[in-house]
Amino acid sequence: MKDVSKLILEDGAVQNRSIYWDQDIYEQELEHIFARAWLFLAHESQLPNTGDFLTTRMGEDNVIVARQADGSIKAFINSCPHRGNVVCHADSGNAKAFTCAYHGWAFGLGGELVTVPLEHDAYYNAIERPRYAMHPVAKVESYKGLVFGTFDAGAPSLRDYLGDMAWYMDTFLDVPGGIELLGPPMKSILNCNWKVPTENFIADGYHVGWAHAAALKAIESPLSPLVGNQAYDVNTGLQVTTRGGHGFGVIWDAAAAIHPVGEAYAQWLAQRTPIMRERLGDWRAKFYNGHWDASIFPNCSFLYGTNTWKLWQPMGPHHIEVWTWTLVEKDMPDELKQMMVATNMMTFGTAGMLETDDGENMEQCTGSNRGWVTRRGKLFSGMGQVREGHHPELPGIVAKGIVCETSNRGFYRRWAQLMSGKSWDELAREPGNAADKREVA
Amino acid sequence: MNAPTHTPAPAKLRYVDRDTLFEVERFLIREARMLDEERFREWWQTQLAEDVHYVLPVREIRLRADQKPIGSNPGAFVFNDNYMMLDMRIRRLETGLVWMEDPRNYIRRFISNVDAAWADVDGEVDAWSNFIVYRNRRQRDETVVWGTKQCRLRKVDGEWKLTRRTILVDQRVVLDKNLYFFL
Repeated sequence: MKDVSKLILEDGAVQNRSIYWDQDIYEQELEHIFARAWLFLAHESQLPNTGDFLTTRMGEDNVIVARQADGSIKAFINSCPHRGNVVCHADSGNAKAFTCAYHGWAFGLGGELVTVPLEHDAYYNAIERPRYAMHPVAKVESYKGLVFGTFDAGAPSLRDYLGDMAWYMDTFLDVPGGIELLGPPMKSILNCNWKVPTENFIADGYHVGWAHAAALKAIESPLSPLVGNQAYDVNTGLQVTTRGGHGFGVIWDAAAAIHPVGEAYAQWLAQRTPIMRERLGDWRAKFYNGHWDASIFPNCSFLYGTNTWKLWQPMGPHHIEVWTWTLVEKDMPDELKQMMVATNMMTFGTAGMLETDDGENMEQCTGSNRGWVTRRGKLFSGMGQVREGHHPELPGIVAKGIVCETSNRGFYRRWAQLMSGKSWDELAREPGNAADKREVA
Repeated sequence: MNAPTHTPAPAKLRYVDRDTLFEVERFLIREARMLDEERFREWWQTQLAEDVHYVLPVREIRLRADQKPIGSNPGAFVFNDNYMMLDMRIRRLETGLVWMEDPRNYIRRFISNVDAAWADVDGEVDAWSNFIVYRNRRQRDETVVWGTKQCRLRKVDGEWKLTRRTILVDQRVVLDKNLYFFL
């Protein structure tokens, strides 16, 4: 195992560039992060009926997620235990069984082996069927409709894994009627390391005015004054990192800010806000009206407000697939849902006006590390270190303003912890970090 | 915003005469050159009807037995644009602040297999064509997108205008960093 202790320094603020390029570090990520962490699989609304299934990936492992006869959701590796063939090639559908195209072994909705051709004549009925079930995802749990899975039977519960991030996410998950994800997802490729877009969504309010200058001008958004990074008021929002490496930035009163047509959405928010205040209190009613950029460790990101939901599926150290859904409240009228979809397509879809700005930067931030000398260098996300700490009412480490790298540091502290190979118990016992002791400026 | 294709049953097609087919073909080829030459505003002003609907659905991979039509899910479009939205996309390009386009991309559009039939609305035709789009940028960055498109054209004051375009890209995973170019 590679010694990772020197790769993240100064309380998460310094990253060794090799973590964006080296194949051996990537392999270690597959083992210590993607095979252990809770990874986003689906929203329950995508699998309403018995036999509904979809195929996805956890790290680079192909996975089938299926709704069982008893209503539960199971997931298992999409590879036949006989000779390894991929069993299901469809993105989604409804099935009674999954049948391998090679020798005809068939598996039930839970991955159990149900049919073996020539079982009597060739196997002499001596095959132990339970031994050849498809490899299960160890735990599958749902948090308010969001279904995650982990390959690690020893992982903490999903609720514990999300920690204080769940408290924040309740802001949009606890709406009456809940949420749904509209898809199927758009998919495209970026030649970048999976951490680069995760950190962009978790913490990078700094790039908005610059990278997205063209889009902000064309959309004529309330955020357009940010164009060119001329000036910035720290009172316009917060950035938060929570234990577990999750985090987000929020811009107050900006949920509908980058919608080309935001009026109907603004009215919806105004009408729902009193309900949310009653359910969740003043703070989260305020968050309900904010625009969020966020990431759930390790590779799931979303923007609440613009309502894009993303998975950065790793395909090697320098490649990802970008998967994009639209997040809406179930109770929204159809017309408003369609507006949310249209907005997501226009901004953060495969041909999105802002997504397009980002893709190029993600690729170049990764590709520069091809150089042997460059790769030995360091990168810095120290912005706002002196102005973060505990907040009297909000969990996590909080910093004023979204132009800040507090969440980035939280992400990389967690990355380093998991990559060290420590057990979940050891990680749970780790003390908070230095930033815990600071006051909010 | 559903039903991405509007092709009638093949037996009922009334194919256009040679002159009309020639005009349709010229329309598609000139349009491709206009876009290759980055004359986006001119394209918007001269080629598009104001009620244009420009659609690119996500093509999900489904088993043959699963007959759900492409684009039947309202959440699954890369483009679902009207005249105003296309204008906005072009305004973004016109700001001069799109760093990804500076230095510029080289994009070359190839149009083939053009065919056309009269639509069920007077003076409108349905046109089918296949396309290849090649994009090259920076030092060695190159991608190719393949697909087909169905267009509905209408003659307005003697000029053909695009009123509807449904683009099908033959890639489940778009093998490019984005599709921010017009097809």
